[in-house]
Amino acid sequence: MIDRRVFVKRTFLGGLALCLDHWATSPAYSQDLIPPAPPISVNEPAEAQPSPFRLPGLFPGRVVEIADPQVIVANRVSQPVIRWMLDRALRELTGAQDAREAWSKFIEPKDIVGIKINPSGAPACCSSPEIVREIVAGVQSVGVPVQNIYVYDRYAYEMDVGSYQTLVPMGVHVTGVEDGKLDGSGYDSNIYCEANFFGEWETRSYMASIVSSRLTKIISVPTMKDHSAAGVTGCLKNLGYGTFNNVHRSHRSPFSFTDPLIGVMCSVEPLRSKAVLHIMDGMRMLWHGGPLSQNPRFISPAGILMVGTDPVAMDTIELEKIEAKRRREGAPSVWSRNPKSLTANNAEFYENAAKNLFYRQPHHIAAAGKLGLGTSDLKQIDHRVLDAG
Amino acid sequence: MLADGSGGIGCEAQVKVASDWPTLLCDNRRSGGQLPQPWRAPRKSLWQCRVEGSVRSAPILDNGLLYVSSLAGYLNAIDTHTGKVRWRFKTAAPIHSTPSMNSGQVLVTCDGGTLYAIDSSSGTKAWDVATGAEVWTSAVVSKDTIYFGDTNGHMRALSHANGALQWEQALGGKIYSTASTAGQRVFVGCGDGRIYSMDAKSGDILWKTPTGDGIDSSPAVAKETLFVGSLDYFFYAIDTVNGAIRWRYEAELGITSSPAISGDLVVFGCKTGVLRALSVQTGKLIWAQRLGEAITAPPVISGSTVWIQSGITYALDLADGNILWQARLGNSLQSAPVVTEAAVYLTSMEGDVYALV
Repeated sequence: MIDRRVFVKRTFLGGLALCLDHWATSPAYSQDLIPPAPPISVNEPAEAQPSPFRLPGLFPGRVVEIADPQVIVANRVSQPVIRWMLDRALRELTGAQDAREAWSKFIEPKDIVGIKINPSGAPACCSSPEIVREIVAGVQSVGVPVQNIYVYDRYAYEMDVGSYQTLVPMGVHVTGVEDGKLDGSGYDSNIYCEANFFGEWETRSYMASIVSSRLTKIISVPTMKDHSAAGVTGCLKNLGYGTFNNVHRSHRSPFSFTDPLIGVMCSVEPLRSKAVLHIMDGMRMLWHGGPLSQNPRFISPAGILMVGTDPVAMDTIELEKIEAKRRREGAPSVWSRNPKSLTANNAEFYENAAKNLFYRQPHHIAAAGKLGLGTSDLKQIDHRVLDAG
Repeated sequence: MLADGSGGIGCEAQVKVASDWPTLLCDNRRSGGQLPQPWRAPRKSLWQCRVEGSVRSAPILDNGLLYVSSLAGYLNAIDTHTGKVRWRFKTAAPIHSTPSMNSGQVLVTCDGGTLYAIDSSSGTKAWDVATGAEVWTSAVVSKDTIYFGDTNGHMRALSHANGALQWEQALGGKIYSTASTAGQRVFVGCGDGRIYSMDAKSGDILWKTPTGDGIDSSPAVAKETLFVGSLDYFFYAIDTVNGAIRWRYEAELGITSSPAISGDLVVFGCKTGVLRALSVQTGKLIWAQRLGEAITAPPVISGSTVWIQSGITYALDLADGNILWQARLGNSLQSAPVVTEAAVYLTSMEGDVYALV
């Protein structure tokens, strides 16, 4: 096995420069055909004061999972059941006596709160509006005015497809960072990650301004999905690739540099300190064809909800679940490095669970752990599975 | 000529000639076309241009000008013979709504909540009215009154002459559904899951019928039946007189696509990417066609052909749903083509505008 050295050069706004590097060990690099990642430079603001919410947050290594077969009825998410599930899970995560007390561990009345959804699989597999409604109610319960709540993502048109603007409560802002596919106006030119992966002409990815400037807290609502380039898309990818632009350049078939770029992006301030809570939507688990597939054969009504503050621990559990489902379905592991599984044909990928567009990089999760964002060792993860009853 | 469809469902008197298309889906009942030209597959692009900003709305056509609004906040008037922009008007905010024509003026709402009346020949502003709320819905004009809703849940009726407020009615949720009018009534879907009927003169609520989730589809009316899709996965046929549900049809996911009607067929798309035709009378499925991508745009019916944009642009046979023509042009999930005897006009999310012949 060949170790890969990932260089991350961090430059703080104001001129202070710091060069970090760490060793990442990935099965992906046991074969010569996958090239090493290039150095990544980060330009970010200097942290004014260490935040207790800085990833991995208030409860490192803790993941609370709850499932209820009653939460999906006729392919619809039950509002009362999801309310109960979320309240129960948050109380378990925080040790609070009631839901309001649990929310108050993360949110203060003065906060400007962003709810980072994942609409990329809309309409079949995206952050459930029913969960978003409960988060809005929870944030309001601690005294945040509704006009200080933003439901957001990078792509406005994907949010439109999910009808979030209609389905979230009146007064909540529903905001897409980009109105068009080439719209760069919503990004902060001072905060970026820079790397040249494939000789692309634009080598920077900029942080969304809503994250750098407007919001004070972020609640992330990733979905539980396979990802053709990253292995899975969960907390880390929803946060990293959902905050920075120009991220598609990190994968060009069959290669993917989602490892280490996803983790590096999540480590950039102020994103790292603002992302206080992750609520993973596993109502509909997409076990192949992610992130965009609408194929019902690959969507399982799992009815799972996971909460935590440690995105690495949560994605580690998610990865286990996607892998287990793929095993049961007879699909290759997301760790597969078999060149015969590759296809350049999107239609084939969307119909055949044995095919993929890239060598997936699920190791991006462990790589993020090595950046200090959380715990990827299953033995170290405090995984609490709650009884639906 | 009036564009009367079969079965007595017709465009209102706004449609003067078959080449005009003065409001979203052709007419105030949202019937979605029915101009009776025969089917002819487009073979080439007469012209193509690009407007500034992403286009999420449908174009309209009047007197040789195609009006296209964009998220850059521009209303563009494009000469249909040349594809050149004759004028453009900058509003104060992005525009999600489809413009409407009224007596030589183009009416357009912007997200910032202002309704503009623009002189169609010069592109200059005649008047504007600020509502203070976000507006994504299109203005509908009927009998000298303009109707539209906002995301604070208010329906408004304004004078077409100067924009003076005639009435305002608070509904129970956000309004992303464009109203339809029929006779003395205004119908609109609402984020609270209800479909509302209001008196056109007073704004009084005549009835409200609940569905199981929010509505962002725009209702269509044929005779005394209203058709609308809901995000509760059901498509509804509702009695326009009393709000009683005549029938409902269950789809696999939510319905944002506004319906089009022709004869005994009502056609709508579902977010699963399936386009369906149901019997107007019974709600029975006549045909279904999977088009691959999520359908959120409204279909348009032109004679014997159904047109729909769902990433790819399709033309289907109205009788059986078979695909007659398709093109990877006009990548759009929310726009609807304008279909005339002379050309088919398409817009794309990237701001491309096509005239196909």
